[in-house]
Amino acid sequence: MVTSPATLTAPELELREQVRAFLAETLAWGTFEPGLGMAAGVDRTFSAALAGRGWVGMSVPARYGGRGATAVDRFVVVEELLRWGAPVGHHWVADRQIAPVLVRYGTEEQKQWLLPRICRAELCFCIGMSEPDAGSDLASVRTRGVRDADGWRVSGVKVWTSNAMRADFMIALCRTGEGARHQGLSRFLIDMRSPGVTVRPIPFLNGSTDHFAEVVLDGVAVSDEMVIGEIGQGWAQNANELAFERSGPDRWISTFLLVQEFMREWPDLAASPAGSGLIGELAAQYWVLHRLSLAVARAIDAGGTPAAEAALIKEMGTRFEQDVVSALRELLDRELVCGPDPAPSLFERLLRRAVLDAPSFTIRGGTNEVLRSVAVKGLS
Amino acid sequence: MTDSELYLTAAQLFAAHSHDIAEAEATGWAQQLWKALQQSGFSDVPVPEDLGGSGGTVDDAVQLLRAAGAHAVPVPLAEAGLVGGWLLASAGLALPQGVRTLLPPAATLHLDGDRLFGTAPAVAWGHRAEHLIGLVDGVVVLAPGPAAESGAPAVTRGANLADEPRDTVVFDGVPLTARADAPHGVTEQTLWERSALGRAALMAGAISAVAAMTLRYSGEREQFGRPIGRFQAVQAHLVTIHQQAAVVASAIDGAVEAVELGRGSFEIACAKMLADRAARLVTAAAHQTHGAIGMTKEYPLHYLTRRLWAWQDEAGGHDRWAGRLGAALVAYGPDALYPAIQSGSEVVQ
Repeated sequence: MVTSPATLTAPELELREQVRAFLAETLAWGTFEPGLGMAAGVDRTFSAALAGRGWVGMSVPARYGGRGATAVDRFVVVEELLRWGAPVGHHWVADRQIAPVLVRYGTEEQKQWLLPRICRAELCFCIGMSEPDAGSDLASVRTRGVRDADGWRVSGVKVWTSNAMRADFMIALCRTGEGARHQGLSRFLIDMRSPGVTVRPIPFLNGSTDHFAEVVLDGVAVSDEMVIGEIGQGWAQNANELAFERSGPDRWISTFLLVQEFMREWPDLAASPAGSGLIGELAAQYWVLHRLSLAVARAIDAGGTPAAEAALIKEMGTRFEQDVVSALRELLDRELVCGPDPAPSLFERLLRRAVLDAPSFTIRGGTNEVLRSVAVKGLS
Repeated sequence: MTDSELYLTAAQLFAAHSHDIAEAEATGWAQQLWKALQQSGFSDVPVPEDLGGSGGTVDDAVQLLRAAGAHAVPVPLAEAGLVGGWLLASAGLALPQGVRTLLPPAATLHLDGDRLFGTAPAVAWGHRAEHLIGLVDGVVVLAPGPAAESGAPAVTRGANLADEPRDTVVFDGVPLTARADAPHGVTEQTLWERSALGRAALMAGAISAVAAMTLRYSGEREQFGRPIGRFQAVQAHLVTIHQQAAVVASAIDGAVEAVELGRGSFEIACAKMLADRAARLVTAAAHQTHGAIGMTKEYPLHYLTRRLWAWQDEAGGHDRWAGRLGAALVAYGPDALYPAIQSGSEVVQ
């Protein structure tokens, strides 16, 4: 397990204060509907305002429009956004995943073309990984890129694709060659406005129809300029990114606002022995997850790829997100019925949403079963 | 957490005395080991040298306790150093010669002049102690122990789940050896906290040793023609154990950082809570992985797991620390909750 210090330097603390002040001003509490972690709302205006402060794509080098910030700096910003329930949906994937991928594997042309636009929060990305027959067994993807005179033709079906309906680009994992399972995979940038791209919403069990989608790719033309890194290296690239994707605050903070708003709306229950005992217990777990997650960010800054550590953290962090919901429900011990009058309180709204969303926490971004296999390989 | 040089040196010393553990369970004492600790000065960390100690920081003392926990060391090292040694030194009292231990903060004691009255339950290795250190009525006291040559208080033997002596000592007007008013900031609560930090550090060591032992066993033991560690169901246990080892190690680091900055209530409460929870999860997963062999006296897992079961209730169990921390957080209100999670005792006392 990584052992980097989990304290912040003075400039990092100063950055945190700046983000707090920005949120208090731009997104005052009570003036917006807070979301649950990274599945929060989508608000281009907010993302643009955030980008205006230099906090989108902040790890991108300055010559491409970023500020060359560290993983810890990004951790500081993201943590404040998520614990505020800020609408990060528009830029989330671009900021967390696409920017680092392009910085690491992109061509000079791709970097100059896309990174400044990511840093201005102009672009929304989606990730085309899962398919009807390739979920946890991702290496069995069947979407195929076939060489033609002008580049590639990509055909296949991607599912469970978050934000596909509003994305400008998809980063898609495709089979481009034969060979062993983990070989012959490549990644393409696909312009979602290309002919042959069809997006069909998949209604979520909570009633939402604007989040999840199926994306059908029917002979979509992709030029060589849109290949990410080398053809055939898609799997190895993908594995290297997981440390970024799996260790952040988004993997344990999703239900934090429930605890905060429970304290606000149920002060007597919160002050009871059972209530304060629970709050103490949850605080201890948040405190240590924060420390472990920050330590991974430090390790990344030190040049490491702590993928196994990240898997250990995501596996326990996401279970904890679910445990928070169960524990609060057990303490409340009441039916979650609400109608138009009186309108449900913020806590009630968050709790209803959390109960319905909670199963996804331990599935999205790698199921806990897969994470355990990844984590165990790193034990020695 | 990187193992410091001090940790490695101490671990070597403890490993050399590993055969003393079983013997100590039978006799209640490991004289050779205690002697080695006194000679190396490890028993006197972090007491300043001008008070007869070996110097060193809180972190040094915690490193020693992690090593002690990993080797199930059967002596009152926490009581002698990090907790009792610190308490004496805080009031400017010098370390006495001989075996010393702590009168736990749960004791119901009082002073009448320089005489000590009352009962101290669950005194670690109480019957072997020549000196007892305690905090009574705001006074740091040094009293003769049951093994003292004169003025010894009465003692009844007891033991925790790991057969570590937890004796009841009764004082009926025993004259004190030394006394000094506790300085500002040294209270019954801070004594609870120091005690909890000591237990949590021992637990961190024991948990890391259980993690190593279980991983090794899962690679050696074969069933169905392959090492059991290759089965996903067993891997889930290994993941749980290593997650919890990481949790406790990070929590101890956080608590030590805070204590060295002169605070630490929040972090110690978290560390003890997390260690207690980890102890439950880790012992269950480790025993399940080991199967029947882990239930035998012969296989060494029980030296660690029985201690973890005992220590999770000592120095305040999970509910005590959760309730205390939760009450403080409720008092600060919902808007201070996240800042407290980020900054601990910098925000919440």
